[in-house]
Amino acid sequence: MGDGKITQTILVVGGGISGLTAALEAAEAGHEVIIVEKNPYLGGKVTQLYQYFPKLCPPNCGLEINFKRIRSNPRIRFFTMAQLAGVSGSPGDFEVQIKISPRYVNERCTCCGECAKVCETEIPNPFNFGLDKIKAAYLPHEFAFPMRYVIDPSIVGTEEGKRVAEACSYGAIDLGMKEETLTLKAGTIIWAAGWEPYEASKIEYYGFGVYPNVINNIMMERLASPVGPTGGKILRPSDKKEAKRVAFVQCAGSRDENHLAYCSSICCLASLKQANYLMETSPEAAATIFFIDIRAMDRLEDFYTMIKANDRIRFIKSKIAMITEDEATHDLLVEGENTQTGEQVRERFDLVVLATGMAPNKVPEWLLPYVGLDEYGFVINNGSNKGVFGAGCVRRPSDVATSVQDSTAAALKAIQTIVRR
Amino acid sequence: MSKKVGVYICKGCGIGDSLDIEKLAGLPEEEYSIDTVKIHEAFCTKEGVDLIKDDIANGVNAVVIAACSPRVNYDVFDFGVDKIVERVNLREQVAWSHAPKDEDTQMLAEDNLRMGIVKANASEPPVPFKAEEDYSGKLLVVGGGLAGMTAALEAAKAGYEVILVEKEAKLGGFLNKCKQRVTFPYKELTPTGIEDMAAEVSANPNIKVYTSAKVDEISGGPCLFNLKISQNGTQITEKVGSIIQATGWVPYDAKKLPHLGYGRFKDVVTNVEFEEMAKEGKIRRPSDGGEVKTALFIQCAGSRDPEHLPYCSSVCCLVSLKQATYLKEQDPEAVSYILYKDMRTIAQAEDFYRKAQRDGNIFIRGSVEAVGDEGGKLYVAGYDELLGEKIKIEGIDLVVLAVGMVPASKPEAVPKIKAPEGAPGADSEGMIEVAADSGFFANRTLNLLYRQGPELPTLRYGFPDSHFICFPYETRRTGIYTAGCIRRPMESYQAEEDAVGAAMKAIQCIELTMRGMAVHPRAGDMSYPEFFMQRCTQCKRCTEECPFGAINEDEKANPLPQPTRCRRCGVCMGACPERIISFKNYSVPMIGDMIKAIHVPEEDEGKPRVVALICENDAYPALDMAGIKRMSWSPYIRFIPVRCLGSVNLVWIADSLSRGIDGIILLGCRHGDDYQCHFIKGSELANVRLSKVAETLQRLALESDRVRYVEIGIADYHKLPGILDDFMKVIENVGPNPYKGW
Amino acid sequence: MADPKKKGKAEGPVSYDPSFSKEVFEKVDYGEKIKMCMQCGVCAASCPLSMVMDYSPRKIFALIRAGKRSEVLSSKAIMLCTSCYSCKVRCPRKVPVVDVMHGLANYALKQGYVPREETALFGREFWKQILRLGRIDEKDLPRRYFFSKGIIPGIKKSMELADMGIVLMLHKRMKLLPERSVKGIKELRKMLEKASAMGNGGA
Repeated sequence: MGDGKITQTILVVGGGISGLTAALEAAEAGHEVIIVEKNPYLGGKVTQLYQYFPKLCPPNCGLEINFKRIRSNPRIRFFTMAQLAGVSGSPGDFEVQIKISPRYVNERCTCCGECAKVCETEIPNPFNFGLDKIKAAYLPHEFAFPMRYVIDPSIVGTEEGKRVAEACSYGAIDLGMKEETLTLKAGTIIWAAGWEPYEASKIEYYGFGVYPNVINNIMMERLASPVGPTGGKILRPSDKKEAKRVAFVQCAGSRDENHLAYCSSICCLASLKQANYLMETSPEAAATIFFIDIRAMDRLEDFYTMIKANDRIRFIKSKIAMITEDEATHDLLVEGENTQTGEQVRERFDLVVLATGMAPNKVPEWLLPYVGLDEYGFVINNGSNKGVFGAGCVRRPSDVATSVQDSTAAALKAIQTIVRR
Repeated sequence: MSKKVGVYICKGCGIGDSLDIEKLAGLPEEEYSIDTVKIHEAFCTKEGVDLIKDDIANGVNAVVIAACSPRVNYDVFDFGVDKIVERVNLREQVAWSHAPKDEDTQMLAEDNLRMGIVKANASEPPVPFKAEEDYSGKLLVVGGGLAGMTAALEAAKAGYEVILVEKEAKLGGFLNKCKQRVTFPYKELTPTGIEDMAAEVSANPNIKVYTSAKVDEISGGPCLFNLKISQNGTQITEKVGSIIQATGWVPYDAKKLPHLGYGRFKDVVTNVEFEEMAKEGKIRRPSDGGEVKTALFIQCAGSRDPEHLPYCSSVCCLVSLKQATYLKEQDPEAVSYILYKDMRTIAQAEDFYRKAQRDGNIFIRGSVEAVGDEGGKLYVAGYDELLGEKIKIEGIDLVVLAVGMVPASKPEAVPKIKAPEGAPGADSEGMIEVAADSGFFANRTLNLLYRQGPELPTLRYGFPDSHFICFPYETRRTGIYTAGCIRRPMESYQAEEDAVGAAMKAIQCIELTMRGMAVHPRAGDMSYPEFFMQRCTQCKRCTEECPFGAINEDEKANPLPQPTRCRRCGVCMGACPERIISFKNYSVPMIGDMIKAIHVPEEDEGKPRVVALICENDAYPALDMAGIKRMSWSPYIRFIPVRCLGSVNLVWIADSLSRGIDGIILLGCRHGDDYQCHFIKGSELANVRLSKVAETLQRLALESDRVRYVEIGIADYHKLPGILDDFMKVIENVGPNPYKGW
Repeated sequence: MADPKKKGKAEGPVSYDPSFSKEVFEKVDYGEKIKMCMQCGVCAASCPLSMVMDYSPRKIFALIRAGKRSEVLSSKAIMLCTSCYSCKVRCPRKVPVVDVMHGLANYALKQGYVPREETALFGREFWKQILRLGRIDEKDLPRRYFFSKGIIPGIKKSMELADMGIVLMLHKRMKLLPERSVKGIKELRKMLEKASAMGNGGA
């Protein structure tokens, strides 16, 4: 190490798997790190996944290790319900504004749950994409880190809000909390703001948002989770009937110049994995995967080989052209051309899962002087970065292992910025 | 250190409503003569913490906090590294999961408190390891291709010194053979830039380059790696802190693909041969030097083929698109056919697929049945899936086989070892084929002087990659990381990124080791195993079972621990039959004492006792989750978290049974091909060791049902109450332990 | 409905001939756009007339790549496009399928490929109706087309599709009453006559 005297902080925007990794790798190498996360908990999208491909292991396993790393490392600080609101200065000497939304619960919360007991108002559960409801005083999810309740703004200023606050014997509920903005110094910034599923309602002929039983792949993760809104049973939203015949529509938005021209990299494997979820629910369940190309890179091919061997999972090479609903049953009619036989496909399914792609979360205008974007809005890390580096899915659509790899690299790029001066 | 223990019992979060706190508070003094015992409504509040701090100011140095799970309020109850903090879980695993004001719940809390006190008494603050030798903060990079050079440059830019060893006379690796690259943003071909990069590496004052050199030997461990490098017949010694292996790949041997015409027809070449031809200046027919007007690329030549390479080589689609572009640039009238299974151009690389289409290349999805020649030209017969017909493409000047990537470490032949007597599958010489994954069989690159073999252990197909999705840089040798195509097949853009990450990990390893701390997954842990050598029987179990090859052996089979290689999992401690391996804050006697602290009711009370040894990384949080969800399970079980199930020493089972404990359950991570154990094989070892216990139990006339091993993932907490209650039923059926009360 | 598997299946294996695709790229309006096709098939399933086409648009492009000149230029498919634009708006590679199909039809006519009897009949009825009403009557056009080959085949074909007609009516996708002519039909006729005289009459 050069001189070992580094005092500049690395600011990491986004506390998902990419941000966590970048922060931890830098902190374990001896640097001061601050994480800014917009959700009330750390972990990001992966907390909502039931399993990872190809090992079919629970994301919380790795997250727990990462949280343990945070617990045992005093060099990491984090803010939840927080967003980067402004940047000025130059590499090595940034001044950043961090906007913190009110949680209405302070650090005295012991997570005892008394507030939720008296709370009657229910809100659509954001963690489960509104597939179920949750009390307006809630723990975002059982593995939430930090383990602290949140009060939904809808009951703030109401009688119920007061009752909820009074139920807390630790003085942890503060309904007078206001949005605040902090100003901090940072030497370098890692932008790991992650992604959102492509807004599938823009693909009008798939009926997402119109037909209740057309869902996206990230909703499917919650349906499959044993601790999700349906207790792990894959029940279709319209009538809570168990879905037996499920269609997976690949490239829902991706590889499509009308939507996302790039390939989202992970959707093939995600659907293979989700078809496997379905297989576990019932011996009668059957999946059909409609695809253009199956892109199972490197050793992930083994997973594809394994899934292909299951005779209850069919693969049809067809980009789906139309999904319509049978109004009486809410079943879905899926139309395409089986390009390998030339036959028209017109099949009925209980549930359609759109393999929606990854859209990078937008880099704010005021950050653009410091970091470049490609034509699709992905962050470029090359010689032209001015102290701000992308990490994970803001750089390219990628799976967890690749995001972690990329974020580890971003940590070094950030460190180079602050040790050179 | 002389201990002064303080016990702090919290009444918050329902603990006070569930338990008789006054009674509980009497226990430390009655049983352990501890006079500092405090009760508070909520110790996590400022007032609560101040109470503890006051006692610390008055000499308390071991703090037992009986409150919530250690997974929460870790920051609130941090009193500095020289203070021992022991957290007794009375909330998630007692008050939230068991009947309030119940005798059994109270007894559970009492036992938990006893175990906590005993543990605090047995713990010493860890003293970080520091070897007497000088530590090196340099990096060694083996392999001077794109990945290796990138790793070296990036580490150098962060201020670290790097030693780069390349076996060829010139830096650059495979890209030296390439005409151009296809890389981000995937719009057009770009120059490889490899010569500029090599010049930059050579000119960098932080990088010392050895070309035409190889590593003869590596001994030691992180920050203490001693190297012998040979170059032009002379041997050089160096010392480094951590290592990056970036030795790349070799093309799959096309001689194994005669069905695709290779070796039979001169005008069937591999993509590597095509690249060399393009780089040299002109793409010609090798047979007669004639013009190439029509070329056909056969994708997945060997890859995605169970007979050859079952995996996808990831890069070959892009490579063929690049090479078709070369041909187009050479002769705009030339036609390239690309015969593929799936076109795999992921992420932004889809743009280059579009470019190749725009150039007019012809894509055929299908398969090859035959390659042959007719009148001096080649033909390819096969099936076109999208036409739904057999095809025969004639008049081809050049067939290019898109052969895949094999890790450079993979031995050419399947390794064989001497078969055990009577083993099935042995050949006439008594040799048997084995999976080449142990570190003994990989092609020699690092030449580690390690008890467990000279090279990095590999996964299936010979890649020394990480098995962890969340931790893709974790190899099984501490301080040695891999980068680029040695790890898995990847395109050059990814190899560059990968190398930056590997450099980060290598730097981090140095920084942690310098401070006497463990690396992942117990990063920052300052404890390390100490060996009481006088009692060692040279049984070799620790040296064989360490998942990270951290322990060497001398000629007499004495273990030679290398603490900077250690990951602090305690697998050696679990393995040692003489119990000579201990950490300052984790040892065989410590857990033994905790087990002995459990009060075992008399047989006639009808209250069985079960000890559950559980993985602290996954099973323990799962149990917390079950508590948070207010699930309930038998109050007769006493949970003891362990660093890894691999650290479970069988003596604990003997201790338990001899104390009259009725049953023992181990809860650990999934093992097997898709293992989830953070220490590779800890849970597997526990299972193996336990299977041996069953025999012993039977000899002692104890039912083997009393001991059970269950795999549990962190997310399976909803299954936990069922698993535990099921085991309790078994224990009820087998009846009380006959050794009770002895 | 034609069986795409049977149609155009040659005796031996297909010999790819790039000269036809080159011809298409160079001489057919929008022909070059076909290069971008990745054979996803979305056009085929988007096409309301795919059921009466011998090849789907996707397959037409595959045939062009394979060099099957006569199959493509004599196909019904290229003559049947009604310009509904479903394929064009959905094509993920922005291939203007409608324009390509029209381009191919035009090119086929120029090359002397006369539409087959039924395609010609369909086209003639289609054209007559446009001149009469200025729009297509979705019941009347197929009826006229089906019966143009005689009474018996007309009844047979009508029966085959009766179910679908009923469903369409139930969903208000098809009107029970005959369509009336558009406003300004006379002006439209004049325009069409002018266009026809300019030689851009389409298929």
